[in-house]
Amino acid sequence: MSGIQFKNVTKYYQDGAGTKLTVLDNVSLTVQPGELVAVIGPSGSGKSTFLSIAGALLQASSGEVIINNTNLTQLSSKQVSKLRLDEIGFIVQTSNLVPYLNVLDQLLVVKKMKGKITAADKAFAKDLLKGVGLEGKLKKYPEHLSGGERQRTAIARAFMNNPDIILADEPTASLDSKRAFEVVELIADFVKTRNKAAIMVTHDERMFSYCDRVYHINDGKLKLVEK
Amino acid sequence: MFLATRELKHSKWRFAMIGMILVLISWLVFILAGLGNGLSTLSAATFKNMDAEYVAYEEGSRHSMSRSVISENLVEDLKASGDVNDAAAMGSHVAVVLKEGVEDDSEKIDVSILGVEPGSFLEPAVVAGKPLTQGDNYQVTVNSSLKDKGIEIGDTLEIEGFNETLEIIGFVEGETFNHLPSIFIDLEHWRAIHFAAPGSDMGVEAPVNAIMLQGDGIEQDKLANALDGIEVATKKEAINGIPGYKEENGTIMMMLGFLLVISAFVIGVFFYVLTLQKANQFGVMKAIGASNGFLAKAIISQITLLAIISIGIGIILTYGTAAILPAGMPFALDSTLVFSYAIILLVVSVLSSLVSVRRITKIDPLQAIGRVE
Ligand SMILES: Nc1ncnc2c1ncn2[C@@H]1O[C@H](COP(=O)(O)OP(=O)(O)OP(=O)(O)O)[C@@H](O)[C@H]1O
Ligand SMILES: [Mg+2]
Repeated sequence: MSGIQFKNVTKYYQDGAGTKLTVLDNVSLTVQPGELVAVIGPSGSGKSTFLSIAGALLQASSGEVIINNTNLTQLSSKQVSKLRLDEIGFIVQTSNLVPYLNVLDQLLVVKKMKGKITAADKAFAKDLLKGVGLEGKLKKYPEHLSGGERQRTAIARAFMNNPDIILADEPTASLDSKRAFEVVELIADFVKTRNKAAIMVTHDERMFSYCDRVYHINDGKLKLVEK
Repeated sequence: MFLATRELKHSKWRFAMIGMILVLISWLVFILAGLGNGLSTLSAATFKNMDAEYVAYEEGSRHSMSRSVISENLVEDLKASGDVNDAAAMGSHVAVVLKEGVEDDSEKIDVSILGVEPGSFLEPAVVAGKPLTQGDNYQVTVNSSLKDKGIEIGDTLEIEGFNETLEIIGFVEGETFNHLPSIFIDLEHWRAIHFAAPGSDMGVEAPVNAIMLQGDGIEQDKLANALDGIEVATKKEAINGIPGYKEENGTIMMMLGFLLVISAFVIGVFFYVLTLQKANQFGVMKAIGASNGFLAKAIISQITLLAIISIGIGIILTYGTAAILPAGMPFALDSTLVFSYAIILLVVSVLSSLVSVRRITKIDPLQAIGRVE
């Protein structure tokens, strides 16, 4: 079954003194293709930890994480980076564009990681950038973009390899509310039209209308929030 | 190359600075290498040119021509012993000569007068004129560098403190010994010059300084023990025995070594600091799927590109410098020398980048996910 599946996932951190901090406690969740799920919670509740496990950046302490039928627990680090490249699109914070690549190259570098860049890749990248309203800024460097434009570039980049899973960590954190709406709308639109399974961490309750489900995370437990 | 060239272009000045340092270092490396090469040629060219593998000296002379006096009669004994294919005697004498008819003392020339058996493998081929013959006259072939002093075939040279004159019958090329241009003469007449003072031959019959041996894998100790009063050195040991050779060469090699270590550190540290600065960026790229290999390739190709350009500029500057250096300067660049130091510099640069590569493999992609900022 494609999409994202968490089966009884527990994650704890061990500090130097040997005390255990349980961040995720027996969490189970399924996100189907075409679904956009929001995760909210107070600071330090484990939202980023949860997303990192879903994105194969962090290992669960126990339980199973299955991404597109691949069980993450059994992969080597090389396989993990290949999985991230092929199946997962991350939308990370604004500052996380590569400073010396122009908007178009930000997308093409993802293809380059796999090998050659073809003319079709270029056309696809331009298409994606048109979708986020950046067709006029292909040759601009991040330093000359506004915060919203950078974030939209990051969104387009997340879709570049046509991944089945989209993960976004506070994609609207540094944006004003008008831009924030635009960005989330874009993500939601992409997820629906391209049939992706997506998880978005956010603080912003106004964005819930774009999401299929909202989960609240607290004391390591994941609870469905009634909208 | 995708990332490498784009970053080089985007941060031109930053990379131009480190490139400049690399240019200067490689420039200095090539100049020093040329100087070292020139000096060692001046000091030992005749030894290096000669077609022999081993040298027999007087026992206790510690591989020095000037300390050694043995009898030429040993040549036959040496030839007769097992591994020696051929043997030929040689003598050296440092002298000051002046072209006959010239009065000006400032025209005096320091030379190495080398006695060899005419027709033996020690006699270098002439590039002009005639080779040596076994004659009654003081006929000599001289290094072509003497042409610059206005000396031609047919000229005669006076030797300071000796009342015979030398007649020049031919020129040889690239023959210098003890930092001085070589003059070749038959052994008989060399003896007359070198042992002019009565008793200076210490009673040795048909004295020479050394006997050069041809033959692969001669057992030095066995041969030295078989014949009385000799020691046997390899050609390399013999070259190191030339006064000043080891010291000059050692100093220059040490400087070159230091320069290479310095360049390794400068480049290594520069790229390491750059890598530390970009840790977050590398983390992001890993999070979106870049493998360690992809990022390592980016950094290595960047350094390789930068090094090739800088070393190239260094080579151009070196040939430019060589063109304006005074002719008498012992500076000899040959393309194999330049090429090999260019490769060494390139390898050193690339190796120094491995610290950065190691650092990259340790960067955690988690950094990208809004945690560590
Ligand atoms: N490497 C670590 N070692 C130990 N504890 C950690 C580590 N990383 C995170 N934690 C702890 O785990 C908890 C969850 O962290 P996480 O970053 O997932 O929170 P978050 O919900 O994303 O918070 P925020 O909204 O502030 O970003 C925090 O209490 C944090 O201190
Ligand atoms: Mg967080």
